[in-house]
Amino acid sequence: MGIFTREREKVPCTVEISHKFESLHAHVRFNNGAVVHPGDEVLVEGPEIMAPFGEVVTEDRSAIILRASFIERLWTRATGDLEVMELCEFSFSEEATL
Amino acid sequence: MNKHSADATTAEEALAIQETLDSNMATEVAMKNTLLTPRFYTTDFDELDAVDVSHIKSEWDPLIERMLSDPNKGHFKKNDDWDQVDWDNMEPQLKKEFIDFLISSCTAEFSGCVLYKEMKRRGSNKEITQLFQLMARDEARHAGFINDALREAGVAVNLGFLTQKKKYTYFRPKFIYYATYLSEKIGYARYITIFRHLQENPQHRFHPIFKWFEEWCNDEFSHGEAFALLMKADPKLTRGVNVWWIKFFLTAVYATMYIRDHQRPAFHAALGVDPDWYAHEVFTKTSKLSKQIFPITLDIDHPRWKKGLLSIQKANQDLADAKAKGSKLAQLTSSIRAGFAFVMLFTVPSKKHSVPSVTRLEPAY
Repeated sequence: MGIFTREREKVPCTVEISHKFESLHAHVRFNNGAVVHPGDEVLVEGPEIMAPFGEVVTEDRSAIILRASFIERLWTRATGDLEVMELCEFSFSEEATL
Repeated sequence: MNKHSADATTAEEALAIQETLDSNMATEVAMKNTLLTPRFYTTDFDELDAVDVSHIKSEWDPLIERMLSDPNKGHFKKNDDWDQVDWDNMEPQLKKEFIDFLISSCTAEFSGCVLYKEMKRRGSNKEITQLFQLMARDEARHAGFINDALREAGVAVNLGFLTQKKKYTYFRPKFIYYATYLSEKIGYARYITIFRHLQENPQHRFHPIFKWFEEWCNDEFSHGEAFALLMKADPKLTRGVNVWWIKFFLTAVYATMYIRDHQRPAFHAALGVDPDWYAHEVFTKTSKLSKQIFPITLDIDHPRWKKGLLSIQKANQDLADAKAKGSKLAQLTSSIRAGFAFVMLFTVPSKKHSVPSVTRLEPAY
């Protein structure tokens, strides 16, 4: 891990998207056991994966993990907590005036 | 059975299948597409693994057992109680605010699911991973239910966010406990208050989803119970300097709710609910519940409390106006005013009380 530089890592992953009435969820699992750390960015490669309503779609893809630099990781650890309020149901909305 | 993009051998084929599928669903073509934008989180997974619930087993086990028995399985299905909604003739401002309410609820449930699932997957402590698995199940179920209501309204939720770059932020485990505990308990208080109000005033029930709020909020209630026990497992979390953090979270959660609810006037008018009355009612219930684990509650009847709420809401409104106009100076001054208002709220003396030795509660409102 660089102090100021970011590193790219390509990892195989499995994406599961459920667009069913019983369950709406989407998850990415890295198949080589890679884990993400604070400040890392993840991009699943390839076209958008769309599950039609009522279906679960599972695809094997590859993902790029852009590793945060040491400084960025420290920064995210120090400031991430400030965003914790977004876990509340009533705080997800971009618009202040509707 | 339709072929879907997962069966495709090439990306182009997948896209073609998708297009056919989409155009097959005539209603979906006209749908407004809303990309869900949940956040992604990491935390200190070693710390989470180190949680020891062995000394609170007498309270922990019955809770997990009930969650395992899944009393709400099958509840989140439409039945005859699901009345037809006349979306086309709904007053436009109400429709806008109500859809925003549904989308933000759906995103929150979805994000909760992502967070809990991540904790489940990266942890190795059996009790903890089991709990997070159960909570992720409930959140995904709630999200699916809201999604269905959105589809009726012509809003299609787009789950394609995974192929967009996303950054992982970081929360310390204790902040996750404080925030999610409060979010689950205040969620319960919010839903049950609306449910009881609409039981007495059914003429204001403009959408059938409110009929499901009672059982729904019982899930929120149990999740809150689980976080209360997680905090009980480590008494340091509710002592010393952490009491200040608890006060901070209580203040921030209450103030955020107050601000957000005042941004939806048509929604509350249609429900026949005065947002100020509603806020007071929800804060009272949440404070009473949170006494199970927090050694303090906020003094919401203090004269400075109400004043502070009004100032923070006004400052927030002015900030939004300033942003819309692109005025940097006005943005700065309203941000400072919002900061002052928060300090005013935070410095209202809190009420201290002793925490009961038995933590577990049952929903009673």
